[in-house]
Amino acid sequence: MTGPALDRRAFFQVGATAAGGLLVTLWWKGTASAASATPAAGPPASAAAKGASLGAFVRIDPDGTIVIVSARPEIGQGVKTSIPMLLAEELDVDWERVRVETTEDVDAKYLDQFAGGSTAVHDSWEPVRQLGAAARATLVAAAAERWGVPAAECSTERGEVRHPSAGTLRYEAVAERAAALPAPKDVKLKDPSAFRIIGRPTRTVDLAEVVTGRTKYGLDLRVSGMLYASIERAPVFGGRVGKVDSRRALAVRGVRKVVPISTEGTALASGRPTAGSNGVAVVATSTWAALKGRKALSIEWVDGPGAAESTESLRARMAKASGEPAGKVLRNDGDFDEAFAGAAKKIEAVYEVPFVAASPMEPMNCTARTTETGCELWAPTQNPYSARSFAGRVLGLDREKLKDTVPVHLLRPGGGFGRRLDTDYAAEAALVAKAAGGAPVQVVWTREDELRHGLYRTCGLHRMRAGLDAKGAPVAWSHALVNPSRYRWQHSEQEPHASEVTPDDFPAAFIPNFRVGYTEIESVVPRGYFRSMVPGVNNFVLQSFLDEIAHAASRDPVELRVALLGDDRKLPYDGHGGPTFDTGRLRRVLETAAEKGGWGKRAPAGRFRGIACGFVFGSYVAELAEVSIGRGGVARVHRVVAAVDPGIVVNPEGARKQVEGAVLDGVNMALRLEITVKGGRVEQSSFGDYPFLRMADAPAIDVHLVGSGAEPWGLGETGAPPAVAAVANAIFAATGERRRRLPLRPSPAGRA
Amino acid sequence: MARYALTVNGRRRTIEAEPDTPLLWVLRDELGLTGTKYGCGVGQCGACTVHLDGVAMRSCVVAISSLGAQRVTTIEALSPGGDHPVQRAWIDEDVPQCGYCQAGQIMMAASLLAHSPKPSDAEIDQAMSGNLCRCGTYPRIRRAIHRAAAEGRKA
Repeated sequence: MTGPALDRRAFFQVGATAAGGLLVTLWWKGTASAASATPAAGPPASAAAKGASLGAFVRIDPDGTIVIVSARPEIGQGVKTSIPMLLAEELDVDWERVRVETTEDVDAKYLDQFAGGSTAVHDSWEPVRQLGAAARATLVAAAAERWGVPAAECSTERGEVRHPSAGTLRYEAVAERAAALPAPKDVKLKDPSAFRIIGRPTRTVDLAEVVTGRTKYGLDLRVSGMLYASIERAPVFGGRVGKVDSRRALAVRGVRKVVPISTEGTALASGRPTAGSNGVAVVATSTWAALKGRKALSIEWVDGPGAAESTESLRARMAKASGEPAGKVLRNDGDFDEAFAGAAKKIEAVYEVPFVAASPMEPMNCTARTTETGCELWAPTQNPYSARSFAGRVLGLDREKLKDTVPVHLLRPGGGFGRRLDTDYAAEAALVAKAAGGAPVQVVWTREDELRHGLYRTCGLHRMRAGLDAKGAPVAWSHALVNPSRYRWQHSEQEPHASEVTPDDFPAAFIPNFRVGYTEIESVVPRGYFRSMVPGVNNFVLQSFLDEIAHAASRDPVELRVALLGDDRKLPYDGHGGPTFDTGRLRRVLETAAEKGGWGKRAPAGRFRGIACGFVFGSYVAELAEVSIGRGGVARVHRVVAAVDPGIVVNPEGARKQVEGAVLDGVNMALRLEITVKGGRVEQSSFGDYPFLRMADAPAIDVHLVGSGAEPWGLGETGAPPAVAAVANAIFAATGERRRRLPLRPSPAGRA
Repeated sequence: MARYALTVNGRRRTIEAEPDTPLLWVLRDELGLTGTKYGCGVGQCGACTVHLDGVAMRSCVVAISSLGAQRVTTIEALSPGGDHPVQRAWIDEDVPQCGYCQAGQIMMAASLLAHSPKPSDAEIDQAMSGNLCRCGTYPRIRRAIHRAAAEGRKA
């Protein structure tokens, strides 16, 4: 079984193993031998020869500079700062003496080079601190050896080894000897009360490069003799190239070559075509020549059966299926039918969500060069191992030898948001490079390509039903989801529903008769990732519907949630961020957001409040949104108050930034984003008709970090989901109109 | 192909290009100035913002043939030491996340402050709403512009 899904899962497994406790000795030994074999194995830097490498991530230079290597994809989530903080903490050095260097190498010695699912901090927490502690232990051993004292009598502080009678030695004085010592057998990690770096608001390490334009992203790569390419892809999903007339394109100055490209049949194990799998590439000496050449192409397409699909046909199919028994019942507590039939009050509602495209600021791109044995890739990606295997697959290379035949340089991406977990763009680049001969080729996507030929967070229709008893307590709940599954698209070994719904999500376990059902439908639209994935959709539905229940029962929405949560306890949670869900932590963030946001107090004139909460990828979050309703019933969000508990907060400044960004993406989902399909083609083309929020639309955001000593989880996505429902609930408070279809637009009747 | 003599970041440069080539691609592909970014190519996102005679313009919609004698300034030369008040404020407020749009944001903000040294929130909204940020750094951009304005008044 091969395929992007497997590549990803393999990486979650690596992460899980690492979090479960890394064998430092294995890591150390492997690195030490590699380091002696090739200078490239140590931390990369001009001064590498002078410094002493303590494993793959640490180098101590003679001037006392502590170099820490950043190897995870930095997509704006701040891992280039937060993960070196973990290491520096256990190494016991001053952060001011740390210099973070980024490596482009993709190698097993760098542990897990993956960025997705808000996992980076969580999965790094144990192993990276152990690496720091191991490096510290060798420095202590080297100093103890020089002094002739037992290592156990030594301590460290801020880059020095200390001994009560022997005195102090700076790390750089013993680093060379330490680098030659064997790995420590076991290491002791600091007690959190001794943390000096973890928990301290820390500025992003490379701001000076970013604000002067020196940071190099994927598209900024310039290699001697390189060419540029752009691909005209079949406009209909699943379509093919018929006849190509390339004469006019070849007449464009600078155009070198016009070649048909197809990743169909090789893209996924089953041979199912991926997005943009058929097209015509124009290779030229500049980006502009490639784009002009592409416009001059004359292509007859074979549309295929995908042309019959549209957003309206999908909605009709989902609506029809939702009226029938669910394809699969995923949770069935008590007896919903009986409890619903006997309920004092019944509520029914249908919610809908559209396809959305992540569309990062830097469009997809990848540079590739054909070599004698395979292909060299320069890929801005969240998932470099997937880029390697996808490229290897389309080139028909031996899977076992890809480490050597497809070397990958990990370049910084201008944003990810999940789009760069899929690596179709790297596979295409490998094919274009093959057609171009030996020159490196940079394949550049346009914004239109990004919106029309990508992979999309899937759409869905949710039929909700609830029954209340005479006191207004919910006693029956049914959630039936119908949609095209991402796992089906990816040919995952997991069942189609597993990428679409988490049956343990609140208020599961708090309503005695509780049912979750899933029905799959087919679609030709490729399904991929978008910041916050499953919770981004389901939290909107569940937290809106809870609001409906509260209003139907004339109960306060916060009071209802707190009452449902009841006493603090830990429940099993079979989903990303599990295995347990702590009701007390959810209640605390909810109460914090309510209090800080002025819930129950008078809002400023013309503004209305809504609130929502959730357990998102291991972190707890609640948000209160303040909206007003303008002309035509259009909602404007003025302020969002967020309370989050990700466990231990590694970098509070970075955490705030992530929550701010995620909240805005939640508001994007609530009010703006929708990809629609007609005739098998995406209708949107650029930022004009796919309108992300802009400065004038951005609400003020207050972030409250609710501390807890729990193991840390990431925050890249956590802030997004509750913003959607909080806005929807605030709109209801303002208008009395329940908007149930994203993006939330006024119904014709609701227009003022 | 035609020859064009340009003044970019204070230097005279001569390039050969098709007349319809956008300034963006001349900067990036011909002159190696990759700090100016491609985001949409149709003037809707602002990632490619540069200064022409000190005024912010979207370089993706400026054909090289229409540039004339206008002096081009890119992010690489906004200040000699990377210490323009806007750049300093961007660091102090820890604005960037992925960072890709920030060169355009900074060039836009510098142009705004050059013409309106003490902008109101409404002026900031108006000037900056052509510059898209996917990471959602808007609240920090707003704070950084106010900070740079305050620094400018002290200076």
